[in-house]
Amino acid sequence: MLETLKLTKRFHSRVAVNQLSLSIKPGEVFALLGPNGAGKTTTINLLLGFLTPDEGETRVNGASVTADPIAARRHIAYIPEQVMLYPRFTGVENLDYFSTLGGRRHTREELLQLLKKAGLPAEAADRRVGTYSKGMRQKVGIALALATEAKALLLDEPTSGLDPAASHEFSLLLRKLAGQGVAILMATHDLFRAREDATRIGILLDGKLAGDYATNDIKHVDLEKLYLKHLRA
Amino acid sequence: MILAIARKEFLDAWRDGRFRIAAAVVLVLLGVALLLAWQQVQRTRAEHNAAAALERENWLNQGEKNSHSAGHYGVYVFKPLAPLAVFDRGLEPFVGTTVFLEAHRQNQAAFLPAQDATAMRRFGELTAATGLQLLVPLLIVLLTFGALAGERERGTLRQVLSLGVRPRDLVLGKALGLGAALAVLLLPAAGCGALALAQLPGGDAGGGWIRLAWMGAAYALYLAAILAVCLAVSAIASTARAALAILLVCWAANAVLAPRLASDFAQRLLPTPKLVDFETAMNKAVQEGLDGHNPRNDRLQAFAQATLKKHGKTRIEELPFNFNGLVMLESERMANEVFDHHFGKLWDHLEAQDRTVTWTGLIAPLLGLRSASMALAGTDFTHHRHFSVAAEQHRRDFVRVLNEDMMNTPAADGHHGGVAGRALWEKLPAFRYDPPPPAHALRAATPGLLVLFLWAAGAWTALLLVAPRLKPN
Repeated sequence: MLETLKLTKRFHSRVAVNQLSLSIKPGEVFALLGPNGAGKTTTINLLLGFLTPDEGETRVNGASVTADPIAARRHIAYIPEQVMLYPRFTGVENLDYFSTLGGRRHTREELLQLLKKAGLPAEAADRRVGTYSKGMRQKVGIALALATEAKALLLDEPTSGLDPAASHEFSLLLRKLAGQGVAILMATHDLFRAREDATRIGILLDGKLAGDYATNDIKHVDLEKLYLKHLRA
Repeated sequence: MILAIARKEFLDAWRDGRFRIAAAVVLVLLGVALLLAWQQVQRTRAEHNAAAALERENWLNQGEKNSHSAGHYGVYVFKPLAPLAVFDRGLEPFVGTTVFLEAHRQNQAAFLPAQDATAMRRFGELTAATGLQLLVPLLIVLLTFGALAGERERGTLRQVLSLGVRPRDLVLGKALGLGAALAVLLLPAAGCGALALAQLPGGDAGGGWIRLAWMGAAYALYLAAILAVCLAVSAIASTARAALAILLVCWAANAVLAPRLASDFAQRLLPTPKLVDFETAMNKAVQEGLDGHNPRNDRLQAFAQATLKKHGKTRIEELPFNFNGLVMLESERMANEVFDHHFGKLWDHLEAQDRTVTWTGLIAPLLGLRSASMALAGTDFTHHRHFSVAAEQHRRDFVRVLNEDMMNTPAADGHHGGVAGRALWEKLPAFRYDPPPPAHALRAATPGLLVLFLWAAGAWTALLLVAPRLKPN
């Protein structure tokens, strides 16, 4: 479960996140839409405990991020726009290292299995990641979320720059994770993927939640109109 | 967790071709420096031994003459090169290696190796010590500048911290892993050093192995401090490039600027007396007494009166021994008081200068390390003083034996006593110098070791304080 309660963050006089209250239940995929500077990445940074809120609180699986960010992060997997890995290590070595840091030890066989589940070609697992495409690195990120058995997944523009096939594969993996009870928050500009993958969509404008919709209630066309309407308002 | 991070850092460093090349270059330089120094120590020792043997032959075969003339004939003694000069030549090139021992004078060591060197010496000499003091820190800079700042730039730091890794664990793991990578480089070098010492005849003279162990501790403290400083800078620098720039400036300040400034500072604070002033003051004191109001002739006249009174005689000729020999003994005793006073003051002064330089090591750790390293290697000024005192003691014993012979020999020429020959020359043993024990070296190295300890403790404390403030972006 991911929660923010009246979360506010200011940078000098600018309010980046304003009284934001969200609750993402296990199995839910919440897509946070908004233009650049709307406060999406700041919200993720607050959920990760990389920023301290000026007001309000964030909770991950019941643990207060503000009170103990280290403990809260143990429940989170984070996939940024570009999953950054160690180029002198292979895919399986990277996964081994990151999952160990996340508090989970796996055998080599298990790690290979996780990479396979995440859709990484078998021959790539033992290749140094310096040669990986962005899509392959994102898959290692998903494998890491699987490996750490995270209760919550934070995604920051995860499909940006991916080709449609890779983007589709990524969506399937997300749904699989949601099916396993992971609460997912995905910050994105991609209306199509938001409508396809999310169970709920929030529109963030100037740090405020301008709308919160169940995806079952809106069609693709409606979402675009809705989004533009909020932007113009 | 810390071990996993350390393992990853170690592997990452060793998979980095740039580090491998830099490490290989440093390792080769250290090896070459050790080999050359080992050969040089062997060669210098052989030259000294040959010269000492020749000098002994000359002494024994000087022919017959009165003992006072033999005192002026004099002998040369040679300073043995400390075994650990293989690692750190310290002041050896700049202090004399040979002392001429003669009657009436305490001479300073002469024949500085630096006098025979080319102008290239001003660029310094490559020894294992300079390699460890200057090159290895540079290698640490290259190894660590991007350890945290680079990860922040690449985005992996954010990824790592998002997993709930404690920043302190991350920093400690990195320090451990990078330290292990350095150890892999330095342990073979240390092994070569130990082998060089083991292969050197008399390598354990003066507690060579104990000294070597303490040297190892001093260098470990120094490199640990450098490692912590580099990681702390990498943790707070905004970019890897900024971290590299800051660290290179720090390296240059420590390695190039600080030694020059510290020595100028010490010279300004405690100026070294000019040689001509020192000798003039000493000669004056020999003639006029330490207080300047007790002329030597008056003292000797008083001594003659006291001697006559003691033996119940009225004339020198009535004394049952050669009075000139006794006068020589007495004038040596008076001169020795002057030498002890003036040389003692000069040496205390030079040691105070060295201590000043060592304590300025609180600003630049290299100065503390140099001081400790030279002291432990037996190539610092305190060891040179120890040798000078031993040589002077030998001179005093040697002059005393000659003067006693003169005193007990009828004055054939009415002045300097009878003729002596090989039998007397053989009574005077060849000079044998035992280097001071490790306790002496440790005493001399204590300020340097303390400076290094404070640096290491301070740097690690700073690193642990900086770690929790580690920013992911």
